[in-house]
Amino acid sequence: MLLHYLDLSWRSFKRTPLVSFLMVLAIAIGIGITMTSLSVYHMMSADPIPEKSSQLYNVQLQTMDEGRTWWKYDNMPLQLTYQDAVNLLNAPVETNKVAMVRSGFSVHLNSDTLKPFIGGARLTTPDFFNMFNVPFIYGGVWTQQQEQTAAPVVVLSEKINDKLFAGENSVGKMIYLDDLSYEVIGVIADWQLTTKYYDLNNGAFNDTEELFMPFSLLEANEFNNWGNTNGWKHEVTHTFKDKLQSERFWIQFWVQLPDEKVKNKYQDYLLAYMQDQQKNGRFNRKELQYTLRDVKQWMAYNDVVSEDNKILVALSFMFLAVCLANILGLLLAKFLRRAPEVGVRRALGASKRQIFLQHLVEVAMLGCFGGLLGIVLAQIGLLGVRQSYDYYSSLATMDLTMLISAPLIAITTCILAGLYPAWLVCRTNPAIYLKSQ
Amino acid sequence: MLKMNNISKMYQTEMVQTHALRDFNLNVNEGEFIAVTGPSGSGKTTFLNIAGMLEPFSDGEYFLDDINVGKLNDNQRADLRNQKIGFIFQGFNLIPDLNLYENIEVPLRYRGIKANERKRRIEQCLEQVGLASRAKHLPQQLSGGQQQRVAIARALAGEPRFLLADEPTGNLDSLMARQVMELLEQINRDGATIIMVTHDPELARRAPRNIQVVDGQLADFTLYQGAQNLKNVAGV
Repeated sequence: MLLHYLDLSWRSFKRTPLVSFLMVLAIAIGIGITMTSLSVYHMMSADPIPEKSSQLYNVQLQTMDEGRTWWKYDNMPLQLTYQDAVNLLNAPVETNKVAMVRSGFSVHLNSDTLKPFIGGARLTTPDFFNMFNVPFIYGGVWTQQQEQTAAPVVVLSEKINDKLFAGENSVGKMIYLDDLSYEVIGVIADWQLTTKYYDLNNGAFNDTEELFMPFSLLEANEFNNWGNTNGWKHEVTHTFKDKLQSERFWIQFWVQLPDEKVKNKYQDYLLAYMQDQQKNGRFNRKELQYTLRDVKQWMAYNDVVSEDNKILVALSFMFLAVCLANILGLLLAKFLRRAPEVGVRRALGASKRQIFLQHLVEVAMLGCFGGLLGIVLAQIGLLGVRQSYDYYSSLATMDLTMLISAPLIAITTCILAGLYPAWLVCRTNPAIYLKSQ
Repeated sequence: MLKMNNISKMYQTEMVQTHALRDFNLNVNEGEFIAVTGPSGSGKTTFLNIAGMLEPFSDGEYFLDDINVGKLNDNQRADLRNQKIGFIFQGFNLIPDLNLYENIEVPLRYRGIKANERKRRIEQCLEQVGLASRAKHLPQQLSGGQQQRVAIARALAGEPRFLLADEPTGNLDSLMARQVMELLEQINRDGATIIMVTHDPELARRAPRNIQVVDGQLADFTLYQGAQNLKNVAGV
C-alpha cells in the first residue's frame, strides 16, 4: 500500500505542479538555511577524535598563590609553566604524555628556487603523533634520544612537503627554518581537525601546524612562543632562562589515561608532585588543586561552540517553522480541494486511517524533495561561508550525518505540518461530496 | 439482509432541527431490486447514505447481514462497506487522474486483494460493461453513459452482495439510461441485491419493488412487477 500511496502522491504532485513546487521550494529554503547553520554547529561541536577522546586528558595545575583569581569560573590556569611541563614529562606513570608549544619560522631551502615563506611549527614530544593519531606517509617520529639531545630534525606536513619537494619522499633532506638547517625525518598525511582541540589558544578552528619538531629545541634554540603566555604576578624575565623558570603559563600538556586504574595512579602522582613542589615554595595554597579534562570536556570548558552559534541555529529553526507555517496553509488548501475525491474513496471502502496515511505519505514526499533541494541550497550557503571566512573552511561542510539529517528533518517537519491538514481531510463526510460532485 | 428499525436522522444547527428520516423501517431480502422514489428533499439520499454507512444515524437500529451497524467503529464500517456494498452515483464520481483500470482498482486495493486477482476481476468487469478496450482511457475521454458503466464496473469489481445506486441514470440521455438499467437488471439477475433511488417513474416501474419516501418516512409500498414477488404477495 505504501507504494500505491507514493504513486498517488507523485500523481498529486504532477496534478498541481506550481503549488507543489512552491511547497518544495519553501521547505528547501527553510532546510537550506537550517542545515547551513546546523552543519557549522555540528562540525564545531563534533568529537574530533572519537576513538580515544575519553582517554586523552588536558592537565591543569593550580600554581597561583592562595587568594589569586583567574578569569575562568574555576580559577584554573589553562596552560602549565615550563618547569611543571618538564617535570610532568618525567612522571613515573607508564603512559603517553605530551608537552608542547606553538612557534613558527621562515621556511626555505637556502636556494634561489623557492621564495621563503612563514610556516607554523609545533614543538612537542614524540608521543604527540601516537596520542593524537597523526598519520605518516613518509618516515616517522624522532626518537627519545633525539628528543633528549635536541636533535635538529623536523616532521613536515603533506602540504609543506608538496611545496618544498613536490610531494616526493623528502626524508633525509634538509630544510632551513630561519637560519638553522634541519633534517626531514618524516612527512605526515593531510591531517585536518574540525577543532584543533590540543591547543585552543590561537583559535579553535585554525589549521594544524606545518612543522613538528622536538620540544627540547625550545630551550636549546630559545624559540619564540607563538601562542599565549599569561602571568599572575610580577616576574622579571630578561632572559629566556628567566622565562623557563618563571610561573608564567605557556605550555600545553596532555596525557593519555586509558582506564580508571591508570587515571587514579596519575591523579595520586599529581598530588604527590604538588606536595613535593610546596617544599620549594611553590603551590602556596592550603588546598592543592588539579584538573583533568578529556577532549569533549576540554572543548566545552573552553566554549568552543559559542552562544552566538547556538542562537544562530535556534533562529534558523525558527525560520524553518515560518516556512512550515506557509506550507501548512498551502497543504490545507490543496487537501481540502481534494475532499470530493476523498469522499469517493471513503465510499469505496477507505478507512479514515488509510486516507490519513495517504496524505501523510504525500507530505513526506514533499518533505523529501524539499530536503534534497535544501541540501543543494545548504551547499551553496556553506560555499558562501567558506568563501567569506577562511577560518570556517574546515567547518562549513556537510558530513554524512548532516547529509542524511537534511531529508530526515525535512520529512519529519513536513509530516508535523501535514498532520492537521491530513487529519482534517480524513474526517471528510463522504455523503456531502458524493451527491454534489 | 438489510433491516432498519425506527431509524431517525436529525440535522442540528444552532437555530433549526431538521428531521431527514423519522422512524424509518425497512426490510430488504437477498436478491431484491428496489426502486426508491419520492419528492426532492424527502430523505431518499439520506436513507441511501445511511444504508451505505456513509452517514451515522441519530436513532434506531440498522442490521446488515445480522451485523448491528450502530455498534461498529469507523474502521469496521469501512471494512463492511468495502466487503459488502457497491455504490453507483448520479455524477459517476470517477477519479479524474486515474484511468478506467485504476478507477476500478480503488476498492480492490482497500480490500487488500493481490495484484493478480485485481487484474482478473477488473478485466472481467470491464468486459461485462463492454469497455474492455478502453482500460487505459481517462474518464474524461468517455461519454456520460460509458462513465456510468465504468462506475458500475467499479461497484461490481468488489463482488458486492448489495448495490446502492443514487440516480444512476440522472445524467444520461434516455438511450443510455435504458442501457444502464438493463445492465443493473442483469446484475440483479446474477444475484446482487439492488436499491436504486430514482426520480424517473418509468425506471421505477421496471424495479420489482418500489418504496416511496415522503417527509423522511416510508410512505407507500407497491409491487409492480416480478412474478416471484407477486406470488409472495398473493401467498401462492
